[in-house]
Amino acid sequence: MSKKFLLPDLGEGLPDATIVEWYVKEGDVIRLDENLVSMETAKAVVDVPSPVSGKVLKLAGGAGDVIVTGSMLAEFEVDPSLPQRAEGQDTGHHHGAAAGHDAGHGVGSQDPAPDDRVVASDEGGAIPARGVPAPQGHADGTAAAKRDDAGTVVGAMQSSDAVRSEAAVAVGGVKAMPAVRAMARKLGIDIARVQASGGDGVVTMDDVKRAAADGSAKAGAAPKASPADMRAHFEATRAEAPAAAAQRSTLSQSGKPMRTQPPGVQASGQPEQLKGVRRNMARVMAAAHAQVVPTTLCDDADLHAWIGKQDITARLIRAIVAACKAVPALNAWFDGDKLVRTLHPHVDIGIAVDTDDGLFVPALRNADMLDGNGVRAAIGRLRAQVEDRSISATELQGYTISLSNFGMFAGRYATPVVVPPTVAIVGAGKLSFDVVAVMGGIEVHRRMPISLTFDHRAATGGEAARFLKALLDDLARPQ
Amino acid sequence: MAEQASNAPAAITLIEAITQALAYEMRNDEAVLVLGEDVGVNGGVFRATAGLSATFGTERVLDTPLDETTIAGLTVGMASQGMKPVAEAQFDGFMYPMVDFIVCHAARMRYRTRGRLTCPMVLRVPWGGGIRAPEHHSEANESIFTNVPGLRVVMPSSPARAYGLLLASIRDPDPVIFMEPKRIYRQYKEVVPDDGEALPLDVCYVLRDGSDITLVTWGAQVKETLEAADALAKDGISAEVIDVATLKPLDFATIAESVGKTGRCVIVHEAAKTAGFGAEIAARLAEECMYDLLAPVERVTGYDTHIPLFRLEMKYLPSVDKIVAAAKRAVAHS
Amino acid sequence: MTVAAHFEIEYLQYLGPDGKPVAELPQAFRDPATLLPLFKQMLYVRTFDTKSIALQRTGKLGTYAACLGHEATHVGIGASMQPQDVFAPSYREYGAQFMRGVRPREVLLYWGGDERGNDFQGPKNDYPWCVPISTQCLMAAGAALSFKLRKQDRVAVACCGDGGSSKTDFYAALNSAGAYTLPLVLCVINNGWAISVPRKAQTGAQTLAQKGIAGGLHCLQVDGNDLVAVLEAMRRATLRARNGEGGSVIEFMTYRLHDHTTADDARRYRGEDEVKAAWTREPVLRLRSWLTDAGLWDEAQEKAWLEECGRLVDIEINAYLETKVQPVEAMFDYLYGDPPADLLAQRASAIALDKAALEKRNG
Repeated sequence: MSKKFLLPDLGEGLPDATIVEWYVKEGDVIRLDENLVSMETAKAVVDVPSPVSGKVLKLAGGAGDVIVTGSMLAEFEVDPSLPQRAEGQDTGHHHGAAAGHDAGHGVGSQDPAPDDRVVASDEGGAIPARGVPAPQGHADGTAAAKRDDAGTVVGAMQSSDAVRSEAAVAVGGVKAMPAVRAMARKLGIDIARVQASGGDGVVTMDDVKRAAADGSAKAGAAPKASPADMRAHFEATRAEAPAAAAQRSTLSQSGKPMRTQPPGVQASGQPEQLKGVRRNMARVMAAAHAQVVPTTLCDDADLHAWIGKQDITARLIRAIVAACKAVPALNAWFDGDKLVRTLHPHVDIGIAVDTDDGLFVPALRNADMLDGNGVRAAIGRLRAQVEDRSISATELQGYTISLSNFGMFAGRYATPVVVPPTVAIVGAGKLSFDVVAVMGGIEVHRRMPISLTFDHRAATGGEAARFLKALLDDLARPQ
Repeated sequence: MAEQASNAPAAITLIEAITQALAYEMRNDEAVLVLGEDVGVNGGVFRATAGLSATFGTERVLDTPLDETTIAGLTVGMASQGMKPVAEAQFDGFMYPMVDFIVCHAARMRYRTRGRLTCPMVLRVPWGGGIRAPEHHSEANESIFTNVPGLRVVMPSSPARAYGLLLASIRDPDPVIFMEPKRIYRQYKEVVPDDGEALPLDVCYVLRDGSDITLVTWGAQVKETLEAADALAKDGISAEVIDVATLKPLDFATIAESVGKTGRCVIVHEAAKTAGFGAEIAARLAEECMYDLLAPVERVTGYDTHIPLFRLEMKYLPSVDKIVAAAKRAVAHS
Repeated sequence: MTVAAHFEIEYLQYLGPDGKPVAELPQAFRDPATLLPLFKQMLYVRTFDTKSIALQRTGKLGTYAACLGHEATHVGIGASMQPQDVFAPSYREYGAQFMRGVRPREVLLYWGGDERGNDFQGPKNDYPWCVPISTQCLMAAGAALSFKLRKQDRVAVACCGDGGSSKTDFYAALNSAGAYTLPLVLCVINNGWAISVPRKAQTGAQTLAQKGIAGGLHCLQVDGNDLVAVLEAMRRATLRARNGEGGSVIEFMTYRLHDHTTADDARRYRGEDEVKAAWTREPVLRLRSWLTDAGLWDEAQEKAWLEECGRLVDIEINAYLETKVQPVEAMFDYLYGDPPADLLAQRASAIALDKAALEKRNG
């Protein structure tokens, strides 16, 4: 088989070399590493050895001819019976600039080189398949071969003239270059409130700097790291700025009723990814819905006999404890997969607490051991901890039954949701003065609507009803 | 440097942006000087200081003896006496003798003298792998410095950021380790006006808006991460890409805000995995964004090996495929 | 034989251990009256040193590096500098630093665990005490380079020990001084010991002074216990530096009469006889003799002066002892000119913790 021998780069980026003298002629047999030809470069006269053992088929020129680096120097008929050298692997080195195009070795690619590279010498060192043009006036050696600046003293660097520019990024509906957004954060500016003066509504660097100078778009939320006392020469955290009011009208300029958006555009609200407590609630409720078989009983507790002003929540807690003692089946955990029921000797009541961020259910531990004062104190502590968000995750789990006192606002009866693994939840509705029929006439009694939802996998209707009765009986007691 | 024939500034590479920034600041602040090995006539082995010696003279562009300790010590000495030296370490792998002066003196000068003496120096270094170089020329060693109080560690990922962040670093009153990803020194050109405008330090740069996953990275890996984001977009996954830029001090707020939106995070860095800077970001996410996360945080990094010589080098560095795979795992998680 | 280079190291000594002149005194320092104030300063330094050791031994000071025996070298170096010069100590040269305007209370604050000791109220540009050995030499070279580049008439002076002359940074400094012709004086204070390692184990060089030859610097070896020799050596070196003739290495031969620090016990590795012998060569003794012979000093004056020294040093000690501990936020306030938000958050949390602990203590 024949093999073409391409002129290798004889000295770190040389574009060509001149034949001084061949040591063989066409038809001769030459052995591996024997001298083939003497070449003159800009730097020196170099003997080039034969890369193979075999017959010389063709020589690319005669003495005095210039051969471009990478073009054919000689062709051989390889003699397999004589010693040969193994094919070298491409090392990917390009002495000199990589002729302005991608070296083709992206991250994650493998050696050896892809097929557009030809291994020019046995030591490796691939060079582009097309050669580099010869410099002018070479014959008298005055024009030294111009060695392109490799731009690196070691290795081979990808080099390109391609021009890229970054685009403005639209985050949260605001378009700005990354650097502008970064500057806004650095200066404590809410970029959403900056007046954009760039084309296509893009916020420019000048816009941000102007906003910083005139204080017109300060970031709303204080950064998490705002220290209690700062020394004078450190910047204080920004004060909140009032939100800009949107100007809207129900009528257009011509007096016609206005759509909120032009046709074909989606509804105008800004989608909000749920976070934190609200996100958790969505997941918990979905899980509850999927597992629990809920049944709700409703009735009214008659508070007519109550003596003096009493704490309603504390009474509810006590009543729940009494009912749990009467019917332990509703103070339990149920595992629907294993069909295991765990009746608890203690009563920990999960108390639903409503906040702006969402629903918290801290556990009032050992409700069965607390007296009225103890209950009040515990509830107060839990509420305070929820309010300042200092409540820990462990306090928000592990209760054995729940209470939802939604009646503070509105609503009489409800179907509150049982949260696994508990099996019951008591809902207390809004107190009212109701007209009730009694033996011998009509009276007005103060009453509290009570809804009891239970998980019918774990408790019977009878158990639930008896629980409810015990609850109502306790609530009815004078104190 | 080419003359500007028209008003439009020419597009330049990252390395040229470095030169442009150095020249600007040296023109406008006579306290600024450059020193290092081969930075004078040779213009630096990567040509970062090309032409500066001819323009500003040998008293502002100093060739130093061949000793990194000398470079670091002289730089700290000059900076603590009111100059603004911008030193060059020739390669990341040669920085280690400088660590003594950086950690023991540069990072502590203000601290130990209660502000009486300060150290407004910049140490520039060609950083990271991917140019098929010999041993010790491809170190991604930013983690050595990110744990040292009193330092800044800054890494540009584009010509414009190289210009703006270097100006900011020179103007900063405290020591900055400025790590230049050599793999992207000449990878593409960008129009960078020579207007002397610094870019802000201590903040992340959001390079791409997304809603499904946050990709956090720095240095040369920004390139692969943006390509991964393109690939993910084709599969309907919208990735937000954050270039940290200033590793220390870290602007975690930008990352937290993004992860609060997307719920998923993949961190990409070239350095070895264990105790790499990605670990710091992952720990912060666990501390502060636990309830926002829909999937575990993943790190796509170099292996816990030395960066291999060039025949295997490209298998070591995080690739687009590895980043895409990690992102898809996160998205599939929930 | 063709000689490519050769060197000689000059040795300076003018007053012998007994205080009698052994050579003609240099013009500048011939008159004992001009040296009397420096002798008194040496006694002051020794008083301070003795009291500082006592403070450490009574639990009122952390680890302290005594300077006993080095008084002539230290005071002589400090006295030979101009206010605009910059001094880079290791951690022992209080005698030099007091000449520069550093106060004893600042020394005590530093060894007493308070960074404010480094915030010199006097010499604003001098370097603080430097633990990483000999790095101060290279920083001083950097300072000298800045003086040269800005064409300022200022000299940088750095001190290291015989052990310090082995360190990379020392070599880097002398090389830099030669490469850039810097106005730098490197003072190698050879006190015979680098903790427990004797001078002869540090290097094969015959003198430490000659290490400067490798950098192309001017080199001198000096009897460091002879104040006149110290002053003359420094006069020559600083003059050369100011004239643009470059840097010098001066090796001051002295002896460490105390332990390396108060945490060291030199009896573990050196004999009593050697120390006794060293006391016969100590600097205060010979200068006292010379001044007494000149009729300028006597026992009564010394007694009175030592009492005064005690009184002055006690003022400094009391000032140190009465200095309140820094507030906890001091930990955070000197890291960055522009501190990042995360750091300020930690600062706030440290302050809050501190406040809570205080409230708890106060009940």
